[in-house]
Formats: sequence, structure tokens, C-alpha cells
Amino acid sequence: MISLGHFLTVGAVLFGLGLVGFLTRRNFITMFLCAEMMLQGVVLNLVAFSRYHGNLSGQVLGLFIITVAACEAGLALALFLTLYRRGRSLDSGAWQSIREIGVQPTIDVEPLMKTVPSPDYPRLPVAGRLPVAAEETARV
Amino acid sequence: MPDPAQIPSQAIAYQLIGAGLLAAVGFLFLLPRPRHRQLLVGTFLGVSALGLLVAFLVTRFGSATADWVSTILFWFFAAGAVGFGTVLVVQRNPARGAIAFAFVVLSTCGLFLILAAPFLMATTIIVYAGAIIVTFLFVLMLSHVSGPADENDRSREPLLGGLAGFGFAGLVLFALHQSLPPASANTTVATPGLPLAPLTVVERSALLDAATHLAEAESANREQLLSTEFSQSTRERLESVVGGMTAPRGTVSLQQRLTLAQAEPRTATEIQQAAALKKQIQTTFDTVETALIDANPPDEARAKQALRELREQVVILAGTGGLPARNVSTLGLAIYSEHLLGVEMAGMLLLVATIGAVAIAHRRGDAT
Repeated sequence: MISLGHFLTVGAVLFGLGLVGFLTRRNFITMFLCAEMMLQGVVLNLVAFSRYHGNLSGQVLGLFIITVAACEAGLALALFLTLYRRGRSLDSGAWQSIREIGVQPTIDVEPLMKTVPSPDYPRLPVAGRLPVAAEETARV
Repeated sequence: MPDPAQIPSQAIAYQLIGAGLLAAVGFLFLLPRPRHRQLLVGTFLGVSALGLLVAFLVTRFGSATADWVSTILFWFFAAGAVGFGTVLVVQRNPARGAIAFAFVVLSTCGLFLILAAPFLMATTIIVYAGAIIVTFLFVLMLSHVSGPADENDRSREPLLGGLAGFGFAGLVLFALHQSLPPASANTTVATPGLPLAPLTVVERSALLDAATHLAEAESANREQLLSTEFSQSTRERLESVVGGMTAPRGTVSLQQRLTLAQAEPRTATEIQQAAALKKQIQTTFDTVETALIDANPPDEARAKQALRELREQVVILAGTGGLPARNVSTLGLAIYSEHLLGVEMAGMLLLVATIGAVAIAHRRGDAT
């Protein structure tokens, strides 16, 4: 029999995962999805309690949370759009100039592994041999 | 199943601390970084943390298999939710992260179904499907970086973040361990043959029948309300379920039957509701008689009000028993009777959020 504790555990783990993602990732969109995952954990808790107590208050509260999540999605994406227009980047670290007074700035020490695309040189055949030419299609 | 009284808190604490530390260190390897990202080591550590978590679940809450189907489905959906959640957190590409989030939502919806919340499941799928599609549009519009980028390939304090998040989850789980009653007492002693949903179909239809009968009283006049035929038939129908004076001999009332299954929490709620209904039947018909006979002039509105309240109580009892089957209608009743203010506020919030989103995202020409 699956008890209340099982569902509460899954909810807590989802919340913890979302918290980790929200704290560590730097892409706005990923952070937003992680926050939504935390909300999913909370709704799971509420629905489990609703089942446990045999009334529907938990499910009603879950519906309200979904409403709030929808509002949050609209506002967050509008904010991201504005930030992207100003900073040309989805990086939350690009906005660290508005941090609190007295907090040290984060400086990325490790360089990114830039993959430099090799320039498109023409391929030359070995001297003295005929180049392999593609056969021309017969034209009528 | 181990007796929870014999599980020392220390063992639980070690399991949780181990799982949290393993997960934090695993995420240190898994989270994106410019170089030295070791996916294999991270995956191994994460899987072992999950193993410890499952060990915690089994030792604490047991794995008795009274119901194979829901057990298997629970583990399937729980693994899906946690696994795809991990993928979402550690994935560099935000578009792939959005796909992983879609699977997290689907798994959670499966858990909702197990928890008898089909309406919430449908709503979640619809709302989040829209949200995920919009997120996809944003990813396509805004992040067209081809190579490594600051936002995708760097993490902010991966070790500290992991410790904070998993430490929080571990604390919540430990609090859960300390506060939840042991699960073994009522699951293993579940007497075979005792229905898990104690309100039978016959009883529920009798309740609904009485409810329609009470609804007809709205349009009845004074003589009809006072007739013995009306009160007698309604009372008989109700009391055949919850027990009372006019109940036929030999019927076992809901309350007496449910005391057997008192360990099940849902049952406790139904017992309370049935007892309240039993009390209310008597008071309601007393009120009807006093309002129509003793009062001068006869107060029909008050009598009908009392009958209406009785009907609501009957519908609530009939609906709660059928939590999965009549989910939408009972949810509607709950929303629009008990939580009306909340609905209004949610609507207001949506309106304000819409206006706010338009105001924020609006491009103000060249003026700024």
C-alpha cells in the first residue's frame, strides 16, 4: 500500500531538485523551469494530503497554485524578454552589477572551451594527379 | 514489515545524510562547467543517492504489497519525476531541459491520478503544455547561441547550491519521519473483505435520491412540506444509510460498519460527516415543523433554508465517498461553496498579471 509518506517524499525531492537548479543554473529559462518544478512538488504534497483527509480542500488549493504558476509564467517570461532586450543575453550573471552593496562580484576564472571552426580552405589534390571530378549529368 | 517503533532515528538520519551528501557531490560533477565535467562519476553518485532514498522509504514507510498495481505505478511515476527532474537541472541545452520538464509534469500527473485527482491532472497537463510551448518559443527566439555560452556552461556555486537544496530536502524528510504516524499499524491489519471505499454504490444512490427529493421541496407549498409522506420518505432514505430511529431493523448503519475501519483516515472523515448528518436530520425536521406550525405566520423560507442545508450535507457525504468518480462535480461544489473568495482573488490575480505582463514587455518606441 502506498502511504502518504511516499508521496510527501517525492514532493520534497522534487522541491529540493528545483531548489538546486534554481540556485546553481544561470540561464533564466532553466531557472524558471526549476521554479515550476518546485511548485509541482508543492502541488503533489497538497493533493496527497487531500487524499489522506478525504476532502477536496487540498485539490482546490492545488488549482489555485496552478493559477498562480500561470501568472508567474506570464510575468517571468515578460521580464526575461525585457532583460534580453537590454543585455542581449539570458545569463543571470550579466546582471550582477545590480547586486547588493558589499557583495564581491563573481568573476569567471575558467575560460570557456571555445571550439574554433577551422577555416574553409579549398582542398587541393596531390600534384601530378588528375582531380576526381564529379560526373556531369547528361543534359538533353 | 519492520515495526517502526524499532527503527532508530539514528539509522534514518544516517540514510538521509548519506543520500544528501552523495547527491550534492554527484551534482557537483553533473552540473555544467567549462571543463572537467564527469558525467559518469556524477551519474553513479546520483544513482547511489537515489538508492539510499529508496532504502529510507522502504524502511520508514514499508513496502507491503496489498495493491500491486498502484505500487508499481507509483514507483514508475516517482522514478520518472525524479529522473527527468535531474535531467532538467543538469542539462546544458535549455530546449532539452524544457522537454525534460514536460516529462516531469507528465509523471506528476500520473501521481495525481493515483491520488484520485483526475481533474487536477487534466488541468495541469493543459496549463503546463501551454507554458512549455511558450517556453520553447522563448528558447527559439532568445538563445540562438551555437557554441559554449556563459549561461549554459557555467554554474553558480555548484557545491554550495547542491548542499543547500539537498540539505533542505533531507531536513524535510527527517521532519516527515518524526511527525508521521507509523504506517504499518493500519495497512497490514486491513481486514480482507472490508471495502476500502466504505460508502457502497447502493448507499450513495440512496443519498443522491434523497438529495433530489430535498431539492423538490424548494417548490413545494406548506401542506406538502408538512405531509408525513414527504418527511417520512426522506428520513427513511437518509437513515437507512446513516442510521436512526426509522431505520429498518437489522440494517447495519454506516457508522457501526465504519468503526471497524477507523484506522483509515478517510473513513474517519466519513464517520464524522455521517454523524453530523444524522444529527442534522432530526434538527432539520424539527425546524421545519416549528417554522410551519408554531410560527405565526408560517415561516416557509426558514423551513426551506433548513432543508437546503440538509441537502448540502447529504451531497457532501455522497460525493466525498466517491472521490475519484465524482471528482469534477464535487470539486466544483467545493470551489463555489467554500472557496468562492479564493476563486475571485485568483481571477483578479490573473487579470493583474496579464496587465503587468503587457506593461512590462511593451516596447516603448524610441523614447527610452
